[in-house]
Amino acid sequence: MRESIIMKIHYGTALGAVVLVAVHILMRMTQNFGQSLQYQNVIANYHFLPYALMLEAVLILLSVHGFNGLRVILLELKQGSGYEKMVNYGSLAAMAILIAYGSRTILMAGMGVS
Amino acid sequence: MTERLSNREGIKGMANPTRYGIERVAYWLQRLTGLGLLAYLIGHIFETSTIVHGKVAWDKMLEFTQTPQGHIILTLVIGMCVFHTANGIRVMLGHGGIGVGKPGQPEYPYKAASLNYKQRLCIWVSIGLAALAMMYGASILFGD
Repeated sequence: MRESIIMKIHYGTALGAVVLVAVHILMRMTQNFGQSLQYQNVIANYHFLPYALMLEAVLILLSVHGFNGLRVILLELKQGSGYEKMVNYGSLAAMAILIAYGSRTILMAGMGVS
Repeated sequence: MTERLSNREGIKGMANPTRYGIERVAYWLQRLTGLGLLAYLIGHIFETSTIVHGKVAWDKMLEFTQTPQGHIILTLVIGMCVFHTANGIRVMLGHGGIGVGKPGQPEYPYKAASLNYKQRLCIWVSIGLAALAMMYGASILFGD
């Protein structure tokens, strides 16, 4: 994929994440911060489908943005065909693992599996 | 070749925020906060995954994170998040050609038009907003 397209994805995921993370933080502020972290409240968040879908979107946007950012930093540091390939595929793999692990939590908590 | 290698500072060069003014500090902070936020994201996903193990595991995790040290880390995360967002928007607009000035004839002392007062002001505003958000976040976290 061309770097110009990757940068557009990087900026797009950043803007999307800013909006959704703001909603995520505001949800914690609807009540006392400590109370909002109580088990029942957090589970209720996962059971509320629109919120669970939003969490999934935040997870994807932040993972893509975060690991692409890391990829850019690592490519600025050093260049070379083998190294670049390793960084590109490594970032993609880490991104996929993080999304899979986070999605597992959202799915299991949302469906009441524990 | 020797000269090229001697100019290569590697991670030391990237980790040095000095020599090129506030823009270099902003570049350095953007990367540092990005790495910090990525580390927090991974930690946050791991921390929230304990909810699937039931109430006891969740409460145990809260005991570990809802401490003064945990609140200090969260306050730093708030600051990193706000700076990274505000400075990131500046960079994004700059890449789109907004706020970087018009190209002109290079004249001594060859000041880059793109590094104008608007850009510098935006960097200071980003730092100020991050400081304010950290104060607000700390007041909520430690006020509980």
